[in-house]
Amino acid sequence: MRKSFLEFSRINTEKLFQNRFNILIILLIILSSLLIARLYFLQVVSFNHFDTLSKTNRIKFISTPPRRGIIYDRNNTVLADNASLYSIEINIEKKRNLQKIIDAIKKEIGLSKEEIENFYEKKYKYSHYNSIVLKSNLNEEEVAKILSIRYKYDGLDVTASLLRKYPYKEITHHVLGHVGYIDKKDLASLDKKKYRNMQYIGKTGVEKFYENELYGNPGYKHVEINARGRQLRDLDIGYAEPGEDIHLTIDIELQKFMFDALSKYSGSSIALNPNTGEILGMVSLPSIDPNDRLWKYGFEQEELKKLKSPLFNRSINGLYSPGSTIKPLVALSSIQNKIINPEEEIFAGPYFQLPNSPRRFRDWKPEGHGMVDLNRAIVQSCDVYFYKLADSLGIDKLSNFFEQFSFGKKTGIDMPYESKGVLPSNEWKQKNIGYKWTDGDTIITGIGQGFFLATPLQLAYATSILANKGVISIPKLNKKLVPKKSKDILNREEFFKKNITNMDWDIITNAMFDVVNKENGTAYWSIRDKKNNIAGKTGTVQVYSLSQETDERDEENIPEHLKDHSLYVAFAPKEDPKIVIATVIENVGSGSKFAAPISNKIINFYLDNKLEKY
Amino acid sequence: MTLNKNTIINDSLLFSIIIIISILGLTILYSATNENIDVVIRQGTRLIFCFFLMILVSSIDINRIRFISPYIYAFSIFLLVVTLFWGHDSKGATRWVMIFGFSLQVSEILKIILPMTLAWFLSLSEDKDFDIKKLIASFIIIFLPIAFVIKQPDLGTSLIILLCGIISIFLAGIKRSHIAYLFGLFLVIAPLMWKFLLLPYQKKRILTLIDPSSDPLGSGYHIIQSKIAVGSGGFFGKGFLNGTQSQLEFLPERGTDFIFAVFAEEFGFIGVMILFLLYLLIIIRFIHITQKAKSYFSKILAGSITCIFVLLIITNVSMAVGLLPVVGVTLPLLSLGGSSLLSIFFAFGIMFSINRRA
Repeated sequence: MRKSFLEFSRINTEKLFQNRFNILIILLIILSSLLIARLYFLQVVSFNHFDTLSKTNRIKFISTPPRRGIIYDRNNTVLADNASLYSIEINIEKKRNLQKIIDAIKKEIGLSKEEIENFYEKKYKYSHYNSIVLKSNLNEEEVAKILSIRYKYDGLDVTASLLRKYPYKEITHHVLGHVGYIDKKDLASLDKKKYRNMQYIGKTGVEKFYENELYGNPGYKHVEINARGRQLRDLDIGYAEPGEDIHLTIDIELQKFMFDALSKYSGSSIALNPNTGEILGMVSLPSIDPNDRLWKYGFEQEELKKLKSPLFNRSINGLYSPGSTIKPLVALSSIQNKIINPEEEIFAGPYFQLPNSPRRFRDWKPEGHGMVDLNRAIVQSCDVYFYKLADSLGIDKLSNFFEQFSFGKKTGIDMPYESKGVLPSNEWKQKNIGYKWTDGDTIITGIGQGFFLATPLQLAYATSILANKGVISIPKLNKKLVPKKSKDILNREEFFKKNITNMDWDIITNAMFDVVNKENGTAYWSIRDKKNNIAGKTGTVQVYSLSQETDERDEENIPEHLKDHSLYVAFAPKEDPKIVIATVIENVGSGSKFAAPISNKIINFYLDNKLEKY
Repeated sequence: MTLNKNTIINDSLLFSIIIIISILGLTILYSATNENIDVVIRQGTRLIFCFFLMILVSSIDINRIRFISPYIYAFSIFLLVVTLFWGHDSKGATRWVMIFGFSLQVSEILKIILPMTLAWFLSLSEDKDFDIKKLIASFIIIFLPIAFVIKQPDLGTSLIILLCGIISIFLAGIKRSHIAYLFGLFLVIAPLMWKFLLLPYQKKRILTLIDPSSDPLGSGYHIIQSKIAVGSGGFFGKGFLNGTQSQLEFLPERGTDFIFAVFAEEFGFIGVMILFLLYLLIIIRFIHITQKAKSYFSKILAGSITCIFVLLIITNVSMAVGLLPVVGVTLPLLSLGGSSLLSIFFAFGIMFSINRRA
């Protein structure tokens, strides 16, 4: 190591180095001079040449849209597909030609005033674009006509892009959602580079939730264009990456059956597999054919109202009082909290009264039920029995128990914009209504009325937890998805395991079985073919409250929008549940007369056709 | 290790010019990335990191640097092996390796580590003749890392690294007769390399350089468009952010390989001359430091760094004006990318360190 500290003294070596260094420096100086000469040549001598080139030899960057992923049902039936869409595009850099082109097109295929106004508006907004769409969704005849005049006009072009098609139209609309034009709200959240020049994006349903997967990655093309805007040649192509296909858990046969069964009504029905959480069918009515909707945008508020809000997805956004369908849970909670002995018979008269209060909480049966035990209370849906249970339990215990069944929170299904519903509790009322919780509130909560609100999906979810005896499967639509159980869910499963015995579960499910299979059950007459061992619970939800004084209701003369909602939750077969269903039908009447027969038919259709095998 | 008070300000002119060009680099990068401030901020962060590295290196005594050179060399060989097996791909080549959360292109830092190692090796026997044994050993040191870089595959960078090594042994006093032999050997090997070693796309790049119009859609496209960008800049340039060629996104690799084309389009011939003048000031300081260097190691290393610095600038600019094939050489201090900044600032640090001993 010492050596390196030595002075660099050997004159020869130093000379040699100096010599070599000089040679290199001179060489590099020569090269640099050449380079500067070259730059002078390019930038000063040939400036005009290159200036012209840069002005005329424009390169256009074109995004090529990726193929959107196809959506299938669980048996590979196509639910959402792509077709070609032809549009007229006009190069707006040729300002002088614009009016001439538009006139020619108007003459050839006709243009509405709106279309022309829209075009000018867009042209103003996107002045930095090369070209802008004048008219979309051309039919073949129109395409042919435009192509025949294209050669006369520079800057006029017909382009093909992808259009989304939903072969099952309104039947699948609320599940799949639809794609639509990218609007301001979308622009705020999406990756602008990825969506440059793209027309549409998933707006609702599966199309929105799985937008990233379905969309893919756009390709690009560098195209050389001449001064007239005509494409000369492709310079550089990056191919688009198609979007992922998605296989849903929906069974389109069942979905169709469900839709048809409910077609006369407004409401929702959801069928799911309690073991996996797979949604087998999910309908919300009324619905609308998204194929038409996509391009003719905008409904008048008036029109929507007349159609009974067909864009509103009742399955996950419709909020209904659960009504009597909640009674099995109230009963289970009472067993868990040791409020009652299930076998003990209690007197249930025509009404229930709180001490020191004149208010009468009436039973649906004007004469009352007499002596009832828990089984009979569920089978006949005895209100007074449950008023008493609710009163003994108190709201805190009730509310806490409902929460274990996921009321008041999102189910976590793979759909956007799910509603949470309302889990009634003292805090909730204080916060949202501003008043203290009263004992009366507790009483009506016991029969699923009052502040309590749930979506049909939440009802189905709670029923699946009940059918599964406390094992929770999160509802899902994507077959491949494996939902991760949150800590909250694991805690709840633990709660069920620790606090509710198999015998307790059986008491409740047996009672629900009797609802359908015992002659005095509220759903006994709803299905003749009882071989599938259905267990269910009806619910009838009052839309307006009965006054204190009148005992009788004149069913026939109530205006339609004030009629009761008809509810039903069920699962089958009782011993080994393969299907859970929750149905809500708006403004028709009792649960036993409408929701129950329809739902039981759906269950039989599913089990009889052995659809569960797939 | 003593932190000398003179650490940095021992050449304040050099230091200021480095800062000026760095800021200029960030400015032009803003334009080259279509005003993407995120990229600029990231590059700025890398610059700050590299400044600290430079100060750290310059504070180390040059003899200590000499002492650790072989270890750094060994470490970089190790990193090349890692890159080969676990590196990540981009555009068909595996050139990067993740290290401490940073993505490092090892071939980039070899441009400085190789001369350092050669200078160390040759200084071990500085009083002896530059005989054939020394020559063969030097070539082993040169070709060991190059073999890995070729495998990535990155022929352009391999050639640049080879040139860096050759500059070092040339400065160290390789015999004239040896130079003649090597040149003869090259004439024999070159055609064979063309036939067996070059991949089709590499041949294409070289061929299109001779006649860009032979492949205007593929590799010739870059050359044609880059020339248009530079040429249309004219004497005064189109102005900052106004380079139509660059802003219309036709120039490939605008931030890295072709940053010079963006600069030339927007600032014109006069801007380019000012940039060159700034580079020239650095080079003059480098030559000065080389002349004053005391030890054999310092002299070889400083001389090599000076020549390599100029070589990189010339290569990059030649690419942009269509005089050399697109070999992926970055423009010192201007191009986007952490690895090239790292090696350049490491070299600056060494130059300051040598200057302190002078």
